[in-house]
Amino acid sequence: MQRRTVIKNIVIMAGGIALLPSCSGDRKKASILLKNLNTSAEQEALLAEIAETILPETGGSPGAKSMNLHLFTMKMVDDCHTAEEQKLFTKGLNKIDQIAEDKYGVSFAKCTPEQRKELLVQVAEDKSAPKEAATFLKITKQRVIQGFTNSKYVMTDLKQYEMVPGRYNGYFPVEKN
Amino acid sequence: MPQLNTDSIKERTFDAIVIGSGISGGWSAKELTEQGIKTLLLERGRDVKHIKDYPTTNKLPYEFEHRGEVPLEIREKAPIVSRCYAFREDTMHFFLKDKEHEYIQEKPFDWIRGYQVGGKSLIWARQTQRWSDLDFEGPKRDGFVVDWPIRYADIAPWYSHVEKFAGICGNKDGLKELPDGEFLPSYPLNAVEDHFRQQVSKKYKGRYVIRARAAHISKPEPIHLEQGRGQCQNRTLCQRGCPFGGYFSSNASTIPWAMKTGNLTLRPFSVVHSIIYDEQKGRATGVRVIDTNTKEEIEYFAKVIFVNASAINTNLILLNSTSRRFPNGLGNDCSLLGKYVAFHHYGGRVSAKYEGELDKFRTDGRNPAGCYIPRFRNVYKQETNFLRGYAAGFSASRGFYSDTAPIGEQLKENLINRKLSGWNIGSHMMGETIPKKSNYVKLDPDKKDEWGVPLLRVNVDFDDNDEKMLQDYFDQFSEMYAEAGFTDIKTSRTNNPPGLDIHEMGGVRMGHDPKTSLLNKWNQLHACKNVFVTDGACMTSTSTQNPSLTYMAFSARSANYAIDQMKKGNL
Repeated sequence: MQRRTVIKNIVIMAGGIALLPSCSGDRKKASILLKNLNTSAEQEALLAEIAETILPETGGSPGAKSMNLHLFTMKMVDDCHTAEEQKLFTKGLNKIDQIAEDKYGVSFAKCTPEQRKELLVQVAEDKSAPKEAATFLKITKQRVIQGFTNSKYVMTDLKQYEMVPGRYNGYFPVEKN
Repeated sequence: MPQLNTDSIKERTFDAIVIGSGISGGWSAKELTEQGIKTLLLERGRDVKHIKDYPTTNKLPYEFEHRGEVPLEIREKAPIVSRCYAFREDTMHFFLKDKEHEYIQEKPFDWIRGYQVGGKSLIWARQTQRWSDLDFEGPKRDGFVVDWPIRYADIAPWYSHVEKFAGICGNKDGLKELPDGEFLPSYPLNAVEDHFRQQVSKKYKGRYVIRARAAHISKPEPIHLEQGRGQCQNRTLCQRGCPFGGYFSSNASTIPWAMKTGNLTLRPFSVVHSIIYDEQKGRATGVRVIDTNTKEEIEYFAKVIFVNASAINTNLILLNSTSRRFPNGLGNDCSLLGKYVAFHHYGGRVSAKYEGELDKFRTDGRNPAGCYIPRFRNVYKQETNFLRGYAAGFSASRGFYSDTAPIGEQLKENLINRKLSGWNIGSHMMGETIPKKSNYVKLDPDKKDEWGVPLLRVNVDFDDNDEKMLQDYFDQFSEMYAEAGFTDIKTSRTNNPPGLDIHEMGGVRMGHDPKTSLLNKWNQLHACKNVFVTDGACMTSTSTQNPSLTYMAFSARSANYAIDQMKKGNL
């Protein structure tokens, strides 16, 4: 027990020394390792709700949150987007919460599903929506869709992808609906 | 140097040395070793063993961290290779990143390289068409560069030889401009491609839409099974390396075959600095190799040397092989080494849509080959305001799409229940460029790479003939599309610099006369007969065919000639 406490203290100390200059106190970090984004656990949770609003769980099929598409989005923004886009992404993510506060008087997470959807539709379609929010949503939607269509669920379970066709037919009759 | 020990020299002495293990070097090594020639095969990159070293080959799309996308950091550090269509997350380990071997671009040139055993044979596009006499006679007829020292009859048996072993699918079309080969069954055209074929043949004399000829085993013959290769499974994930050996690569085919003879020594991590020329003997005696791991310089010796380092690197090695006899590069008595470099003009695409009764069809499975339109301009005589012409790749395809405008349940519903798209038509030109003295590669006088080899300076560009040809391709294909009833016809320039075609050729051209060419009709340096160049560097002109098959045939032909000459005591 004592030994464990000592080890824990050492870890905290070491971590404290390493992180003090950049870390603002007790802000909890995101659950995945990121190189460029400085996303907090709180922002991650918000992104999960936004992703779930874009692709919600429906009868029998999983939604963005349980498929971890918010984490995939963070990973892609961290590795595949420019510093400028990353900045807009983070600013826009925070902005969504602010819009929710202004519009409904509660944070995005506390909005009803209808309110959440209404808010995102407005950000996507209203030309006067704040630029960072619109950019954030565009990136997030694109990555959530990419993560979904390239998931095991869609590709393998729903059979949208066949790795080894072993055949080619150039005159395949289109199925009648 | 610790190389004076005679045992050590003996260990470093072979009958033949082949520089480069890509598509042509693999063939040189196979032919030599099969006939008992002890051969050292040098490769500057790491080893890649068939199947075992294809780390991504069986991964599903969702098993890639970035679902196939190349992370920005890699793209920013390597902008040149990042422009290559085949450079993806699943294939990027088989491409050289820009900084790993730098060169100086006097004009923009995207040099795409694969530094590993197998070279670019792992990642090539696998299209394989024969040249005809209409191609070999081109320079002479149209008065550019020099006459090829060979004709179709010289190389035809070697085309057959390599086709049977490599496995080439294709249809016997009976065209004079694109001779038939030893074909495995071809992949059929789809409904709309077939429609285009019929319309074009009805309305245009001398224009043909044919099934692609490609290095895919559509139906294995015993010779392919003997190599441990099987039928292509239509995955179209070729550039990851194929676990079935369904397409031809050095890794799946020629190198393991050569290894089985017991006569092959494969040495990866070996950058060839230069070829050693012995003034007394009047011949090349070996090569200087830099071990890329230890940076140690090691000399290897042999009676004959095959330079198959890929077109530009072959130029680099010869330019760097200087001696009192050859102060400007090995065999460079004519001062043309590194000059007349050319490429294929991939500058344009034409797309369109098809709507009509063929909408009742779609495709099922995947076609690894596609279709091809052989050159139809200036084939038998000069008839346009530009020299030579272009071939084209062509395809019609139908995919699935979803309306991604909504948010929420409707979006999900749309993604799960995709809709069949209409037919999309696409083609890309592959034009012959005219080699010019002003298109060259040379050594930088000062800067060297980490192996002590001078950096290469590249100065290769398009010209007015290319521009006229591009316009003609746009005009002709737009018209042919319209005649076939296609709609929404759009032309687009790729605006890519030379090099991205990955068909760079020349610099060590073949010819009759040592005063105007470097290589004779057997691909031997005129002035140093025991050095053979059978990769893209040897090309006198480019014609329009995808060049790899011709390099394979040259390699096999020259290797057999070299064996014959060695037996006669001439080499």
